[in-house]
Amino acid sequence: MIDVHVQYFAVLRERAGLSQETVATAAATAAELYEELATRHPFNLPRSMLRVAINDEFADWSRPLGAGDRIVFIPPVAGG
Amino acid sequence: MRAFTFSSVPLDPERHRAELADPGAGGYASFEGWVRDHNEGRRVERLEYEAFEALAVKEGERIVADAMARFGVSRAACVHRVGSLDIGDLAVWVGVSSAHRGEAFAACRYIIDEVKHRVPIWKKEHYTDGDSGWVNCERCAAAAHDHDHDHDHAHAPAGSGSAFEHDYSRQVALPEVGAAGQAKLAAASVLVVGAGGLGVPVLQYLVAAGVGRIGILDGDHIEASNLHRQPLYGIADVGRAKAEVAAARLAMLNRDAQVDAIAAHATRDNIDELVAGYDLVVECTDNFRAKFLVNDAVVRAGKPAVFASVHQYEGQLQLYRPQPDWPCLRCLWPTAPRDGLVGNCAEAGVLGPVPATLGAMQAMQVLQLILGLHAGASSALVMVDLLTLETRRVSARRDPDCSHVLGASTDAPDAAPVELAFTTLTAAVESGFELVDIREAWERGFDPPHASIPLHLPLSDLVNGRVQFPAQGRYLVICAHGVRSLSLTEHLRSLGQSEVYSLRGGLAALRC
Repeated sequence: MIDVHVQYFAVLRERAGLSQETVATAAATAAELYEELATRHPFNLPRSMLRVAINDEFADWSRPLGAGDRIVFIPPVAGG
Repeated sequence: MRAFTFSSVPLDPERHRAELADPGAGGYASFEGWVRDHNEGRRVERLEYEAFEALAVKEGERIVADAMARFGVSRAACVHRVGSLDIGDLAVWVGVSSAHRGEAFAACRYIIDEVKHRVPIWKKEHYTDGDSGWVNCERCAAAAHDHDHDHDHAHAPAGSGSAFEHDYSRQVALPEVGAAGQAKLAAASVLVVGAGGLGVPVLQYLVAAGVGRIGILDGDHIEASNLHRQPLYGIADVGRAKAEVAAARLAMLNRDAQVDAIAAHATRDNIDELVAGYDLVVECTDNFRAKFLVNDAVVRAGKPAVFASVHQYEGQLQLYRPQPDWPCLRCLWPTAPRDGLVGNCAEAGVLGPVPATLGAMQAMQVLQLILGLHAGASSALVMVDLLTLETRRVSARRDPDCSHVLGASTDAPDAAPVELAFTTLTAAVESGFELVDIREAWERGFDPPHASIPLHLPLSDLVNGRVQFPAQGRYLVICAHGVRSLSLTEHLRSLGQSEVYSLRGGLAALRC
Protein backbone atom coordinates (compact mmCIF):
# COMPACT_ATOMS: atom_id res chain seq x y z
CA MET A 1 0.00 0.00 0.00
CA ILE A 2 1.19 3.51 -0.79
CA ASP A 3 -0.25 6.91 0.06
CA VAL A 4 -1.07 9.18 -2.86
CA HIS A 5 -2.61 12.63 -2.91
CA VAL A 6 -5.68 12.88 -5.17
CA GLN A 7 -7.38 16.03 -6.45
CA TYR A 8 -10.73 16.25 -8.18
CA PHE A 9 -11.94 18.90 -10.57
CA ALA A 10 -15.24 20.06 -12.01
CA VAL A 11 -17.88 17.36 -12.27
CA LEU A 12 -15.67 14.84 -10.44
CA ARG A 13 -15.33 17.23 -7.50
CA GLU A 14 -19.10 17.53 -7.41
CA ARG A 15 -19.61 13.79 -7.50
CA ALA A 16 -16.91 13.06 -4.93
CA GLY A 17 -18.17 15.83 -2.68
CA LEU A 18 -14.58 16.87 -1.93
CA SER A 19 -11.76 18.49 -3.83
CA GLN A 20 -8.89 16.41 -2.50
CA GLU A 21 -8.00 13.48 -0.34
CA THR A 22 -5.04 11.34 0.60
CA VAL A 23 -5.65 7.74 -0.31
CA ALA A 24 -3.88 4.60 0.79
CA THR A 25 -4.04 2.32 -2.22
CA ALA A 26 -2.75 -0.92 -3.62
CA ALA A 27 -3.41 0.32 -7.16
CA ALA A 28 -0.37 -0.05 -9.37
CA THR A 29 -1.44 2.46 -12.02
CA ALA A 30 -3.54 5.58 -12.36
CA ALA A 31 -6.14 3.52 -14.20
CA GLU A 32 -6.47 1.08 -11.33
CA LEU A 33 -6.65 3.96 -8.88
CA TYR A 34 -9.53 5.56 -10.78
CA GLU A 35 -11.46 2.30 -10.93
CA GLU A 36 -10.89 1.87 -7.20
CA LEU A 37 -12.04 5.41 -6.39
CA ALA A 38 -15.06 5.00 -8.65
CA THR A 39 -16.30 2.27 -6.29
CA ARG A 40 -16.21 4.77 -3.41
CA HIS A 41 -17.48 7.89 -5.21
CA PRO A 42 -20.45 8.04 -7.59
CA PHE A 43 -18.39 9.07 -10.63
CA ASN A 44 -20.49 9.19 -13.79
CA LEU A 45 -17.71 9.63 -16.30
CA PRO A 46 -15.95 6.69 -17.86
CA ARG A 47 -12.17 6.81 -17.62
CA SER A 48 -11.94 7.16 -21.40
CA MET A 49 -13.38 10.67 -21.11
CA LEU A 50 -10.83 11.85 -18.56
CA ARG A 51 -7.18 12.73 -18.47
CA VAL A 52 -4.91 12.09 -15.55
CA ALA A 53 -2.01 14.25 -14.45
CA ILE A 54 0.69 12.89 -12.17
CA ASN A 55 2.91 15.42 -10.44
CA ASP A 56 1.60 18.24 -12.64
CA GLU A 57 2.16 16.49 -15.94
CA PHE A 58 -0.32 14.75 -18.17
CA ALA A 59 0.40 11.04 -17.91
CA ASP A 60 -0.62 7.73 -19.43
CA TRP A 61 -3.17 5.79 -17.46
CA SER A 62 -0.70 2.91 -17.36
CA ARG A 63 2.03 4.91 -15.62
CA PRO A 64 3.03 3.16 -12.35
CA LEU A 65 2.21 5.09 -9.20
CA GLY A 66 4.79 6.02 -6.59
CA ALA A 67 4.37 6.90 -2.93
CA GLY A 68 3.48 10.56 -2.47
CA ASP A 69 2.43 11.12 -6.09
CA ARG A 70 0.03 13.99 -6.70
CA ILE A 71 -2.74 12.64 -8.92
CA VAL A 72 -5.28 14.88 -10.62
CA PHE A 73 -8.23 13.54 -12.57
CA ILE A 74 -9.27 16.12 -15.15
CA PRO A 75 -12.58 16.06 -16.93
CA PRO A 76 -13.03 18.12 -20.07
CA VAL A 77 -14.95 21.33 -19.47
CA ALA A 78 -17.11 23.14 -21.98
CA GLY A 79 -18.95 25.96 -20.21
CA GLY A 80 -18.49 29.49 -21.34
CA MET B 1 -44.26 62.99 -23.49
CA ARG B 2 -41.03 62.33 -25.37
CA ALA B 3 -38.30 60.73 -23.33
CA PHE B 4 -35.70 63.38 -23.99
CA THR B 5 -36.18 66.88 -25.38
CA PHE B 6 -34.50 70.23 -25.52
CA SER B 7 -36.34 73.44 -24.76
CA SER B 8 -35.34 76.96 -25.67
CA VAL B 9 -38.02 78.43 -23.37
CA PRO B 10 -38.23 78.17 -19.56
CA LEU B 11 -39.20 74.74 -18.26
CA ASP B 12 -42.49 74.11 -16.50
CA PRO B 13 -41.93 71.22 -14.10
CA GLU B 14 -45.61 71.07 -13.07
CA ARG B 15 -46.63 70.36 -16.63
CA HIS B 16 -43.93 67.70 -17.11
CA ARG B 17 -44.82 66.12 -13.79
CA ALA B 18 -48.46 65.78 -14.82
CA GLU B 19 -47.39 64.01 -17.99
CA LEU B 20 -45.76 61.24 -15.96
CA ALA B 21 -48.93 60.51 -13.99
CA ASP B 22 -49.72 56.81 -14.03
CA PRO B 23 -52.39 54.97 -12.05
CA GLY B 24 -49.90 52.14 -11.41
CA ALA B 25 -47.30 54.48 -9.95
CA GLY B 26 -46.94 54.76 -6.19
CA GLY B 27 -44.32 57.44 -6.33
CA TYR B 28 -42.61 60.11 -8.35
CA ALA B 29 -39.06 61.39 -8.05
CA SER B 30 -37.61 64.32 -9.87
CA PHE B 31 -34.37 66.21 -10.13
CA GLU B 32 -33.97 69.84 -11.06
CA GLY B 33 -30.65 71.31 -12.08
CA TRP B 34 -30.45 75.07 -11.46
CA VAL B 35 -28.11 77.78 -12.66
CA ARG B 36 -25.92 78.82 -9.71
CA ASP B 37 -24.06 82.04 -9.24
CA HIS B 38 -20.54 80.69 -8.92
CA ASN B 39 -18.23 78.11 -10.41
CA GLU B 40 -14.68 77.29 -9.34
CA GLY B 41 -14.41 80.49 -7.35
CA ARG B 42 -15.74 82.84 -10.01
CA ARG B 43 -18.99 84.78 -9.83
CA VAL B 44 -21.32 83.75 -12.61
CA GLU B 45 -23.90 86.16 -13.99
CA ARG B 46 -25.66 83.99 -16.57
CA LEU B 47 -24.88 81.11 -18.88
CA GLU B 48 -25.66 79.65 -22.24
CA TYR B 49 -26.28 76.05 -23.21
CA GLU B 50 -25.63 74.74 -26.66
CA ALA B 51 -26.24 71.23 -27.88
CA PHE B 52 -25.66 69.18 -30.96
CA GLU B 53 -29.33 68.32 -30.93
CA ALA B 54 -29.63 65.49 -33.45
CA LEU B 55 -27.04 63.42 -31.66
CA ALA B 56 -27.90 64.61 -28.19
CA VAL B 57 -31.59 63.70 -28.44
CA LYS B 58 -30.73 60.22 -29.64
CA GLU B 59 -28.27 59.70 -26.81
CA GLY B 60 -30.69 61.18 -24.27
CA GLU B 61 -33.49 58.89 -25.42
CA ARG B 62 -31.17 55.94 -25.10
CA ILE B 63 -30.31 56.92 -21.53
CA VAL B 64 -33.97 57.20 -20.51
CA ALA B 65 -34.79 53.88 -22.19
CA ASP B 66 -31.83 52.25 -20.42
CA ALA B 67 -33.03 53.62 -17.10
CA MET B 68 -36.57 52.36 -17.63
CA ALA B 69 -35.33 48.92 -18.58
CA ARG B 70 -32.71 48.78 -15.86
CA PHE B 71 -34.91 49.89 -12.99
CA GLY B 72 -38.30 48.76 -14.27
CA VAL B 73 -39.95 52.14 -13.74
CA SER B 74 -43.19 52.97 -15.51
CA ARG B 75 -42.44 56.41 -16.94
CA ALA B 76 -39.40 58.63 -17.19
CA ALA B 77 -38.41 61.76 -19.05
CA CYS B 78 -35.75 64.42 -19.19
CA VAL B 79 -35.90 67.98 -20.55
CA HIS B 80 -32.79 70.12 -20.98
CA ARG B 81 -32.62 73.84 -21.63
CA VAL B 82 -30.67 75.42 -24.44
CA GLY B 83 -30.09 79.12 -24.95
CA SER B 84 -29.43 81.86 -22.45
CA LEU B 85 -30.25 81.26 -18.76
CA ASP B 86 -30.16 83.48 -15.68
CA ILE B 87 -29.19 82.60 -12.12
CA GLY B 88 -31.85 80.39 -10.54
CA ASP B 89 -33.29 79.24 -13.84
CA LEU B 90 -34.12 75.61 -14.29
CA ALA B 91 -31.46 74.09 -16.60
CA VAL B 92 -32.46 70.46 -16.60
CA TRP B 93 -35.42 68.49 -15.31
CA VAL B 94 -35.66 64.72 -14.81
CA GLY B 95 -38.83 62.96 -13.66
CA VAL B 96 -39.60 59.32 -12.99
CA SER B 97 -42.82 57.65 -11.88
CA SER B 98 -42.73 54.13 -10.57
CA ALA B 99 -44.59 51.57 -8.50
CA HIS B 100 -42.04 51.93 -5.70
CA ARG B 101 -39.89 54.83 -4.53
CA GLY B 102 -36.53 53.01 -4.58
CA GLU B 103 -36.58 52.47 -8.31
CA ALA B 104 -37.83 56.01 -8.91
CA PHE B 105 -34.92 57.55 -6.98
CA ALA B 106 -32.40 55.22 -8.60
CA ALA B 107 -33.64 55.82 -12.14
CA CYS B 108 -33.73 59.57 -11.60
CA ARG B 109 -30.18 59.59 -10.34
CA TYR B 110 -29.05 57.36 -13.19
CA ILE B 111 -30.60 59.59 -15.84
CA ILE B 112 -29.09 62.85 -14.63
CA ASP B 113 -25.66 61.29 -14.11
CA GLU B 114 -25.65 59.72 -17.56
CA VAL B 115 -26.99 62.86 -19.25
CA LYS B 116 -24.21 64.94 -17.66
CA HIS B 117 -21.66 62.41 -18.77
CA ARG B 118 -22.81 61.29 -22.19
CA VAL B 119 -24.97 63.89 -23.88
CA PRO B 120 -23.05 66.44 -25.95
CA ILE B 121 -24.12 69.70 -24.30
CA TRP B 122 -21.85 72.72 -23.92
CA LYS B 123 -22.11 75.37 -21.27
CA LYS B 124 -20.70 78.87 -21.58
CA GLU B 125 -20.47 80.85 -18.34
CA HIS B 126 -20.58 84.63 -18.30
CA TYR B 127 -18.79 86.02 -15.27
CA THR B 128 -19.53 89.20 -13.35
CA ASP B 129 -16.14 90.58 -14.41
CA GLY B 130 -17.28 90.55 -18.03
CA ASP B 131 -15.23 87.53 -18.99
CA SER B 132 -16.75 84.31 -20.26
CA GLY B 133 -15.69 80.70 -20.88
CA TRP B 134 -16.89 77.33 -22.01
CA VAL B 135 -16.84 74.86 -19.15
CA ASN B 136 -17.77 71.39 -18.18
CA CYS B 137 -17.77 69.95 -21.65
CA GLU B 138 -16.58 66.52 -20.75
CA ARG B 139 -16.53 65.32 -24.31
CA CYS B 140 -14.06 68.02 -25.24
CA ALA B 141 -11.90 67.25 -22.22
CA ALA B 142 -11.84 63.64 -23.26
CA ALA B 143 -10.68 64.62 -26.71
CA ALA B 144 -7.35 65.59 -25.15
CA HIS B 145 -7.03 69.11 -26.43
CA ASP B 146 -3.77 70.62 -25.39
CA HIS B 147 -4.87 74.24 -25.40
CA ASP B 148 -6.83 75.85 -22.65
CA HIS B 149 -10.51 76.38 -22.84
CA ASP B 150 -10.87 80.01 -21.94
CA HIS B 151 -12.11 81.10 -25.33
CA ASP B 152 -15.18 81.05 -27.46
CA HIS B 153 -15.84 77.50 -28.32
CA ALA B 154 -15.03 76.52 -31.85
CA HIS B 155 -14.74 72.78 -31.70
CA ALA B 156 -17.05 70.69 -33.79
CA PRO B 157 -19.42 68.79 -31.55
CA ALA B 158 -18.61 65.14 -30.97
CA GLY B 159 -20.06 62.90 -33.63
CA SER B 160 -19.96 65.49 -36.36
CA GLY B 161 -16.63 64.35 -37.71
CA SER B 162 -14.21 65.75 -35.15
CA ALA B 163 -11.30 63.42 -34.49
CA PHE B 164 -11.53 61.66 -31.16
CA GLU B 165 -8.22 60.09 -30.49
CA HIS B 166 -8.38 57.09 -28.22
CA ASP B 167 -5.92 57.48 -25.39
CA TYR B 168 -3.73 54.40 -25.02
CA SER B 169 -1.13 56.19 -22.89
CA ARG B 170 -1.51 53.89 -19.91
CA GLN B 171 -0.61 50.81 -21.90
CA VAL B 172 1.87 52.51 -24.21
CA ALA B 173 3.73 53.50 -21.03
CA LEU B 174 4.70 49.88 -20.51
CA PRO B 175 8.24 49.46 -21.78
CA GLU B 176 7.25 46.22 -23.52
CA VAL B 177 4.41 47.94 -25.38
CA GLY B 178 5.37 51.43 -26.46
CA ALA B 179 4.29 53.00 -29.72
CA ALA B 180 5.57 50.01 -31.66
CA GLY B 181 3.41 47.64 -29.62
CA GLN B 182 0.38 49.85 -30.07
CA ALA B 183 0.96 49.77 -33.82
CA LYS B 184 1.07 45.97 -33.68
CA LEU B 185 -2.27 45.93 -31.88
CA ALA B 186 -3.77 48.28 -34.45
CA ALA B 187 -2.57 46.03 -37.25
CA ALA B 188 -3.87 42.83 -35.64
CA SER B 189 -7.10 40.99 -36.35
CA VAL B 190 -8.77 38.56 -33.96
CA LEU B 191 -11.75 36.25 -34.41
CA VAL B 192 -13.72 35.74 -31.19
CA VAL B 193 -15.92 32.66 -31.38
CA GLY B 194 -18.75 33.01 -28.88
CA ALA B 195 -19.81 36.32 -27.29
CA GLY B 196 -20.99 34.92 -23.96
CA GLY B 197 -19.51 34.79 -20.47
CA LEU B 198 -15.96 34.32 -21.77
CA GLY B 199 -16.38 36.28 -24.97
CA VAL B 200 -17.71 39.46 -23.38
CA PRO B 201 -14.56 40.36 -21.43
CA VAL B 202 -12.38 39.15 -24.30
CA LEU B 203 -14.17 41.51 -26.66
CA GLN B 204 -14.24 44.44 -24.27
CA TYR B 205 -10.54 44.30 -23.48
CA LEU B 206 -9.39 43.67 -27.04
CA VAL B 207 -11.51 46.50 -28.41
CA ALA B 208 -10.45 48.85 -25.60
CA ALA B 209 -6.79 48.00 -26.15
CA GLY B 210 -7.00 49.06 -29.78
CA VAL B 211 -6.88 45.74 -31.63
CA GLY B 212 -7.57 46.85 -35.18
CA ARG B 213 -10.14 44.35 -36.39
CA ILE B 214 -12.30 41.98 -34.41
CA GLY B 215 -14.78 39.40 -35.67
CA ILE B 216 -17.61 38.27 -33.41
CA LEU B 217 -18.95 34.88 -34.41
CA ASP B 218 -22.08 34.02 -32.44
CA GLY B 219 -25.40 32.75 -33.76
CA ASP B 220 -27.26 33.00 -30.46
CA HIS B 221 -29.82 35.50 -29.32
CA ILE B 222 -29.50 37.16 -25.93
CA GLU B 223 -31.48 35.35 -23.25
CA ALA B 224 -32.48 36.70 -19.87
CA SER B 225 -30.43 33.94 -18.27
CA ASN B 226 -27.28 35.32 -19.94
CA LEU B 227 -27.30 38.72 -18.26
CA HIS B 228 -25.83 37.71 -14.88
CA ARG B 229 -22.54 36.78 -16.53
CA GLN B 230 -22.60 38.82 -19.75
CA PRO B 231 -23.00 42.41 -18.54
CA LEU B 232 -22.22 43.87 -21.95
CA TYR B 233 -25.92 43.25 -22.60
CA GLY B 234 -28.96 44.78 -20.93
CA ILE B 235 -32.56 43.88 -20.27
CA ALA B 236 -33.73 45.59 -23.43
CA ASP B 237 -31.40 43.39 -25.52
CA VAL B 238 -33.12 40.11 -24.68
CA GLY B 239 -34.12 38.38 -27.89
CA ARG B 240 -31.71 40.34 -30.08
CA ALA B 241 -28.82 38.79 -32.02
CA LYS B 242 -25.83 38.63 -29.72
CA ALA B 243 -23.19 39.36 -32.34
CA GLU B 244 -25.01 42.48 -33.48
CA VAL B 245 -25.67 43.90 -30.02
CA ALA B 246 -22.08 43.20 -29.01
CA ALA B 247 -20.76 44.97 -32.11
CA ALA B 248 -22.96 48.00 -31.45
CA ARG B 249 -21.84 48.28 -27.81
CA LEU B 250 -18.19 47.83 -28.68
CA ALA B 251 -18.41 50.52 -31.33
CA MET B 252 -19.29 52.94 -28.53
CA LEU B 253 -16.24 51.84 -26.59
CA ASN B 254 -13.58 52.48 -29.19
CA ARG B 255 -13.99 53.75 -32.73
CA ASP B 256 -10.53 52.55 -33.72
CA ALA B 257 -11.63 48.94 -33.90
CA GLN B 258 -13.41 47.56 -36.91
CA VAL B 259 -15.90 45.12 -35.45
CA ASP B 260 -17.42 42.50 -37.75
CA ALA B 261 -20.68 41.03 -36.42
CA ILE B 262 -21.12 37.51 -37.78
CA ALA B 263 -24.48 36.30 -36.51
CA ALA B 264 -23.93 32.61 -37.21
CA HIS B 265 -22.75 29.48 -35.45
CA ALA B 266 -19.40 27.97 -36.26
CA THR B 267 -19.92 25.14 -38.72
CA ARG B 268 -17.77 22.94 -40.89
CA ASP B 269 -18.89 25.01 -43.83
CA ASN B 270 -17.90 28.45 -42.54
CA ILE B 271 -15.10 27.98 -40.04
CA ASP B 272 -12.12 27.66 -42.39
CA GLU B 273 -13.01 30.77 -44.34
CA LEU B 274 -13.58 32.74 -41.15
CA VAL B 275 -10.35 31.61 -39.51
CA ALA B 276 -8.47 32.51 -42.71
CA GLY B 277 -9.64 36.10 -42.34
CA TYR B 278 -7.96 36.75 -38.98
CA ASP B 279 -4.52 36.52 -37.40
CA LEU B 280 -5.64 34.52 -34.40
CA VAL B 281 -8.69 33.00 -32.79
CA VAL B 282 -10.17 33.11 -29.30
CA GLU B 283 -12.48 30.21 -28.54
CA CYS B 284 -15.17 31.27 -26.08
CA THR B 285 -18.11 28.97 -26.77
CA ASP B 286 -19.81 26.69 -24.28
CA ASN B 287 -19.73 23.47 -26.25
CA PHE B 288 -17.20 20.85 -27.27
CA ARG B 289 -18.49 20.68 -30.81
CA ALA B 290 -17.46 24.29 -31.49
CA LYS B 291 -14.22 23.97 -29.53
CA PHE B 292 -13.03 21.05 -31.61
CA LEU B 293 -14.26 22.63 -34.81
CA VAL B 294 -12.15 25.69 -34.00
CA ASN B 295 -9.21 23.54 -32.89
CA ASP B 296 -9.16 21.64 -36.16
CA ALA B 297 -9.53 24.81 -38.21
CA VAL B 298 -6.63 26.63 -36.51
CA VAL B 299 -4.45 23.53 -36.82
CA ARG B 300 -5.24 23.38 -40.54
CA ALA B 301 -4.67 27.11 -40.98
CA GLY B 302 -1.55 27.24 -38.80
CA LYS B 303 -2.91 30.04 -36.64
CA PRO B 304 -2.62 30.54 -32.89
CA ALA B 305 -5.68 30.19 -30.69
CA VAL B 306 -6.62 30.68 -27.07
CA PHE B 307 -9.16 28.26 -25.59
CA ALA B 308 -11.01 28.49 -22.30
CA SER B 309 -13.88 26.74 -20.58
CA VAL B 310 -15.53 26.99 -17.22
CA HIS B 311 -17.42 24.66 -14.96
CA GLN B 312 -19.13 26.14 -11.91
CA TYR B 313 -16.24 27.70 -9.93
CA GLU B 314 -13.39 26.41 -12.08
CA GLY B 315 -11.90 27.20 -15.40
CA GLN B 316 -9.40 25.78 -17.86
CA LEU B 317 -7.21 27.79 -20.20
CA GLN B 318 -5.14 26.46 -23.08
CA LEU B 319 -3.01 28.20 -25.64
CA TYR B 320 -2.35 26.75 -29.08
CA ARG B 321 0.56 27.91 -31.19
CA PRO B 322 1.27 26.54 -34.65
CA GLN B 323 4.58 24.91 -33.80
CA PRO B 324 5.53 21.30 -34.45
CA ASP B 325 6.00 20.46 -30.78
CA TRP B 326 2.87 22.21 -29.52
CA PRO B 327 -0.12 20.15 -28.37
CA CYS B 328 -3.57 20.91 -29.73
CA LEU B 329 -6.90 20.30 -28.02
CA ARG B 330 -7.07 16.83 -29.54
CA CYS B 331 -3.68 15.90 -28.11
CA LEU B 332 -5.24 16.34 -24.68
CA TRP B 333 -8.63 14.92 -25.55
CA PRO B 334 -8.15 12.42 -28.35
CA THR B 335 -11.84 11.60 -28.28
CA ALA B 336 -13.76 14.84 -28.54
CA PRO B 337 -16.12 14.78 -25.55
CA ARG B 338 -19.79 14.88 -26.37
CA ASP B 339 -21.88 17.83 -25.33
CA GLY B 340 -24.44 17.21 -22.67
CA LEU B 341 -22.43 14.48 -20.99
CA VAL B 342 -20.29 16.84 -18.96
CA GLY B 343 -22.09 19.85 -17.53
CA ASN B 344 -22.23 23.20 -19.33
CA CYS B 345 -23.35 26.52 -17.83
CA ALA B 346 -27.04 25.81 -18.37
CA GLU B 347 -26.92 22.49 -16.60
CA ALA B 348 -24.20 22.99 -14.01
CA GLY B 349 -24.65 26.63 -13.04
CA VAL B 350 -21.95 29.30 -12.95
CA LEU B 351 -21.15 32.58 -11.20
CA GLY B 352 -20.40 35.50 -13.53
CA PRO B 353 -16.88 36.30 -12.33
CA VAL B 354 -15.71 32.78 -13.20
CA PRO B 355 -16.02 33.12 -17.00
CA ALA B 356 -15.10 36.81 -16.61
CA THR B 357 -11.78 35.85 -15.01
CA LEU B 358 -11.03 33.20 -17.60
CA GLY B 359 -12.08 35.57 -20.40
CA ALA B 360 -9.78 38.29 -19.05
CA MET B 361 -6.98 35.71 -19.00
CA GLN B 362 -7.74 34.87 -22.63
CA ALA B 363 -7.61 38.56 -23.55
CA MET B 364 -4.25 38.81 -21.79
CA GLN B 365 -2.94 35.83 -23.75
CA VAL B 366 -4.10 37.41 -27.00
CA LEU B 367 -2.37 40.72 -26.22
CA GLN B 368 0.78 38.79 -25.32
CA LEU B 369 0.67 36.92 -28.60
CA ILE B 370 0.23 40.12 -30.60
CA LEU B 371 2.85 42.06 -28.65
CA GLY B 372 5.32 39.21 -28.63
CA LEU B 373 5.44 38.92 -24.84
CA HIS B 374 6.22 35.26 -24.81
CA ALA B 375 7.72 34.97 -21.36
CA GLY B 376 4.73 33.11 -20.05
CA ALA B 377 3.81 31.28 -23.22
CA SER B 378 3.35 27.67 -22.32
CA SER B 379 1.50 24.72 -23.67
CA ALA B 380 0.40 23.79 -20.16
CA LEU B 381 -3.26 23.42 -19.40
CA VAL B 382 -3.94 26.06 -16.74
CA MET B 383 -6.64 25.15 -14.24
CA VAL B 384 -8.04 27.90 -12.04
CA ASP B 385 -10.27 27.37 -9.00
CA LEU B 386 -12.01 30.64 -8.21
CA LEU B 387 -13.23 29.38 -4.84
CA THR B 388 -9.78 28.65 -3.46
CA LEU B 389 -7.87 30.97 -5.83
CA GLU B 390 -5.56 28.08 -6.60
CA THR B 391 -4.00 27.84 -10.01
CA ARG B 392 -2.52 24.64 -11.34
CA ARG B 393 -0.51 24.16 -14.49
CA VAL B 394 -0.44 20.72 -15.98
CA SER B 395 2.25 20.27 -18.58
CA ALA B 396 0.87 18.93 -21.81
CA ARG B 397 2.85 17.34 -24.58
CA ARG B 398 2.12 16.81 -28.18
CA ASP B 399 0.52 13.41 -28.73
CA PRO B 400 2.57 11.72 -31.47
CA ASP B 401 -0.56 9.79 -32.48
CA CYS B 402 -2.76 12.88 -32.66
CA SER B 403 -4.41 13.41 -36.00
CA HIS B 404 -3.04 16.95 -36.16
CA VAL B 405 0.53 15.73 -35.79
CA LEU B 406 0.10 12.98 -38.33
CA GLY B 407 -1.28 15.54 -40.75
CA ALA B 408 -4.43 13.49 -41.17
CA SER B 409 -7.51 15.37 -42.21
CA THR B 410 -9.54 16.17 -39.18
CA ASP B 411 -12.34 17.29 -41.39
CA ALA B 412 -14.53 14.20 -41.45
CA PRO B 413 -16.79 14.13 -44.47
CA ASP B 414 -20.37 14.95 -43.73
CA ALA B 415 -22.49 11.83 -43.60
CA ALA B 416 -26.26 11.80 -43.95
CA PRO B 417 -27.78 14.77 -42.14
CA VAL B 418 -27.95 14.16 -38.44
CA GLU B 419 -30.33 16.98 -37.63
CA LEU B 420 -33.82 17.51 -38.97
CA ALA B 421 -35.96 20.58 -38.51
CA PHE B 422 -39.67 20.36 -37.79
CA THR B 423 -42.05 23.12 -36.80
CA THR B 424 -44.33 20.79 -34.82
CA LEU B 425 -43.95 17.38 -33.25
CA THR B 426 -47.05 16.25 -35.10
CA ALA B 427 -45.27 16.88 -38.39
CA ALA B 428 -42.40 14.65 -37.23
CA VAL B 429 -44.77 11.84 -36.26
CA GLU B 430 -46.53 12.17 -39.62
CA SER B 431 -43.16 11.82 -41.32
CA GLY B 432 -42.81 8.39 -39.74
CA PHE B 433 -40.60 9.16 -36.75
CA GLU B 434 -40.98 7.78 -33.30
CA LEU B 435 -40.19 10.57 -30.82
CA VAL B 436 -37.63 10.00 -28.04
CA ASP B 437 -37.47 12.56 -25.26
CA ILE B 438 -34.02 12.43 -23.63
CA ARG B 439 -34.56 15.30 -21.22
CA GLU B 440 -34.30 14.64 -17.51
CA ALA B 441 -37.52 14.04 -15.61
CA TRP B 442 -37.33 17.41 -13.85
CA GLU B 443 -37.12 19.22 -17.16
CA ARG B 444 -40.33 17.60 -18.34
CA GLY B 445 -41.97 18.82 -15.17
CA PHE B 446 -41.21 22.42 -16.13
CA ASP B 447 -42.62 22.02 -19.62
CA PRO B 448 -46.15 20.62 -19.42
CA PRO B 449 -46.94 21.06 -23.16
CA HIS B 450 -44.13 18.66 -24.05
CA ALA B 451 -44.24 16.42 -20.99
CA SER B 452 -46.21 13.70 -22.69
CA ILE B 453 -43.83 12.36 -25.34
CA PRO B 454 -44.41 8.68 -24.59
CA LEU B 455 -40.88 7.36 -25.09
CA HIS B 456 -38.80 9.01 -22.36
CA LEU B 457 -35.19 7.91 -22.01
CA PRO B 458 -33.35 10.46 -19.85
CA LEU B 459 -29.83 11.07 -21.12
CA SER B 460 -28.37 10.45 -17.66
CA ASP B 461 -29.89 6.96 -17.67
CA LEU B 462 -28.61 6.27 -21.19
CA VAL B 463 -25.11 7.41 -20.25
CA ASN B 464 -25.05 5.28 -17.14
CA GLY B 465 -26.43 2.27 -18.96
CA ARG B 466 -29.61 2.12 -16.88
CA VAL B 467 -31.63 2.13 -20.09
CA GLN B 468 -30.75 1.17 -23.64
CA PHE B 469 -31.60 3.08 -26.77
CA PRO B 470 -33.80 0.81 -28.92
CA ALA B 471 -31.82 -0.74 -31.75
CA GLN B 472 -34.58 -0.99 -34.33
CA GLY B 473 -36.77 1.81 -35.64
CA ARG B 474 -36.72 5.33 -37.02
CA TYR B 475 -36.24 7.81 -34.20
CA LEU B 476 -36.22 11.56 -33.72
CA VAL B 477 -34.23 12.40 -30.58
CA ILE B 478 -35.50 15.42 -28.69
CA CYS B 479 -34.11 17.63 -25.94
CA ALA B 480 -34.63 21.25 -24.91
CA HIS B 481 -32.27 23.02 -27.32
CA GLY B 482 -30.98 20.31 -29.64
CA VAL B 483 -27.45 20.09 -28.22
CA ARG B 484 -27.70 16.90 -26.18
CA SER B 485 -29.90 15.24 -28.78
CA LEU B 486 -27.28 15.99 -31.43
CA SER B 487 -24.52 14.48 -29.29
CA LEU B 488 -26.50 11.36 -28.60
CA THR B 489 -27.52 11.01 -32.24
CA GLU B 490 -23.92 11.35 -33.43
CA HIS B 491 -22.91 8.77 -30.85
CA LEU B 492 -25.61 6.35 -32.02
CA ARG B 493 -24.61 6.93 -35.64
CA SER B 494 -21.00 6.11 -34.75
CA LEU B 495 -22.28 2.82 -33.36
CA GLY B 496 -23.86 2.05 -36.71
CA GLN B 497 -27.45 3.05 -36.06
CA SER B 498 -28.45 4.94 -39.19
CA GLU B 499 -32.16 5.69 -38.74
CA VAL B 500 -31.76 8.12 -35.88
CA TYR B 501 -31.99 11.91 -36.14
CA SER B 502 -31.82 14.88 -33.82
CA LEU B 503 -34.50 17.56 -33.68
CA ARG B 504 -32.65 20.72 -34.73
CA GLY B 505 -32.87 23.41 -32.06
CA GLY B 506 -34.82 21.10 -29.77
CA LEU B 507 -38.22 21.91 -28.33
CA ALA B 508 -37.25 25.57 -28.15
CA ALA B 509 -37.29 25.73 -31.94
CA LEU B 510 -40.84 24.43 -32.35
CA ARG B 511 -43.52 26.82 -33.46
CA CYS B 512 -45.74 26.10 -30.47
